[in-house]
Amino acid sequence: MSQAHPGSQPVVVPFGDQALLCVLGDSIDEDLNRRVHRLAAAVGTDREREGVPWGAPVPGYASLLVPYDVGRLSLASATRRLERLVGRAEDEPAEEPDASALIEIPVRYGGESGPDLADVARRTGLDEDGVAQLHASITYRVFILGFVPGFAYLGRLPAQLELPRRDEPRPRVPAGSVAIAGRQTAVYPAATPGGWHLIGRTEVSLWDPDATPPSRLQPGQSVRFVASPR
Amino acid sequence: MSGMPGAAGPPRQVPLVDVRSAGLLTTIQDAGRPDAAALGVPRSGACDPLAMAAANLLLGNAPEAAVLEASLLGPELRVLRSGFVALTGADMEARDSDGGRRLGLGRTHHLEEGTTLVLGAAADGARAYLAVPGGFAVPIVLGSASTCLAGRFGGFSGRPLAPGDVLLANVDEAGRPTPSERVWPGPGPSSGVPAGVDDVVLRVVPGPHAGQLTADEFGRLLSTTWEVDHRSDRMGVRLATSAAPNRDRSAAAELVSLPMTWGAVQLPPGGAPIVLLADHPTVGGYPVPLVVAAVDRPVLGQLRPPHRVRFVPVDVAEAQAAWLEAERALDEAARRLRVSGVDG
Repeated sequence: MSQAHPGSQPVVVPFGDQALLCVLGDSIDEDLNRRVHRLAAAVGTDREREGVPWGAPVPGYASLLVPYDVGRLSLASATRRLERLVGRAEDEPAEEPDASALIEIPVRYGGESGPDLADVARRTGLDEDGVAQLHASITYRVFILGFVPGFAYLGRLPAQLELPRRDEPRPRVPAGSVAIAGRQTAVYPAATPGGWHLIGRTEVSLWDPDATPPSRLQPGQSVRFVASPR
Repeated sequence: MSGMPGAAGPPRQVPLVDVRSAGLLTTIQDAGRPDAAALGVPRSGACDPLAMAAANLLLGNAPEAAVLEASLLGPELRVLRSGFVALTGADMEARDSDGGRRLGLGRTHHLEEGTTLVLGAAADGARAYLAVPGGFAVPIVLGSASTCLAGRFGGFSGRPLAPGDVLLANVDEAGRPTPSERVWPGPGPSSGVPAGVDDVVLRVVPGPHAGQLTADEFGRLLSTTWEVDHRSDRMGVRLATSAAPNRDRSAAAELVSLPMTWGAVQLPPGGAPIVLLADHPTVGGYPVPLVVAAVDRPVLGQLRPPHRVRFVPVDVAEAQAAWLEAERALDEAARRLRVSGVDG
């Protein structure tokens, strides 16, 4: 595990005139991400129990966006209050979904389901089965939800499979596509444009706006992909 | 879950308009879903929130009642029930098929059952807003009536309007003033970009990655007059410049995905900025050297070719003071509409 800025202090900076950004680090790292979600929970508690006029916080891999009501909180007092919350959240134990409750996602690798699998194999020096086996051999963490509704950023992908995004994003990626980019993997919950490499597809539905919660995957959960016959 | 204040019991809903032609991109929007971003759900909502609020206030609605947002080319709507509507935002040269009466912006109009409201191509600005008494009635999803185009939910069946759609409105006569002839009091939000103005000034505060740019790169962002690109949409206003070359690709490290906000000026490796709008993805990996002040969101939502844009730096305190002043002006306009009679 890479340790970005070991020992570095979290930084709180303005993100526009309506929100603060708390930066804890700049890498895809489980410990950093756990701290981000812990801080998000602390902000949520401060909003609900103490009536502090925060908006809903938005987690990134290693940073947290915290909107605030500028009619009720100055930049200086919002910054001070968030810095205090950061300090307190760092000292508390993490409350996370039970990581042992593994979510399994069946995947058909390659062929029409994964049009980029052959290319990924060529570029990583593996064969198609090797890529699929390696992808399915890891227990991934759900780091964040983002990009489009229910899109879960999973990591970390083995370094052997690390590739930059495609030069030309596809205008339309089919729903259920299982994709990789950098040290990340994900399932496209709906048909959207996308620049990741498509290596397979699943029938599992990950997003239903009328369900509670609407996203099947939640930050902190553990996910494994299981190869199903083509 | 109607979102209407003062409603005693669920409001009645009635068919109000029948979509004859849909226009380029006409969607139902309200204040959006700011609380759902952690699920990856874009905020959505009106791209010109001031024009939406004005249209609603003219009818005595809550400022964030569900309206129609039409982009660049408006719809044709057959009226199924006589009553008032309010029009704000970009000038789409709205007409009433009944005699071809021109319908001005920033005011209410009475439309008779059987006539057709025709919105044409936007002569200035990008987005027009149509409000109806009580607001358009659609199911509330994740706290909002707004159309989520990326997730295909909310609004009217999760999509832009199409010919043949019949839109319902909330009927809630109790506790809401009876709509009447009203004109928006004072200057303001009939359009975010005044007609004939091609060079638009956007106030910006330094973004979280301002320090990662070289002084030259940062200076170039501020000194360039940017052209609004035709590929702009509800996710973002894309800017371009014919004066070349852009920043050094090698300098543009991609970041681990971080949360984004409305107004963030993203700088992709090519050097052509994208200013994020209401439908922006919740996270992104491009550096954000500038953020457009929230007070200029209404203008931002009206940008289109051939508008040109310049960024003018302000500090956070100035941006917040301007925002609060705009909020006070809106409150004052709402107050004058409540106390005044005809024609504010």
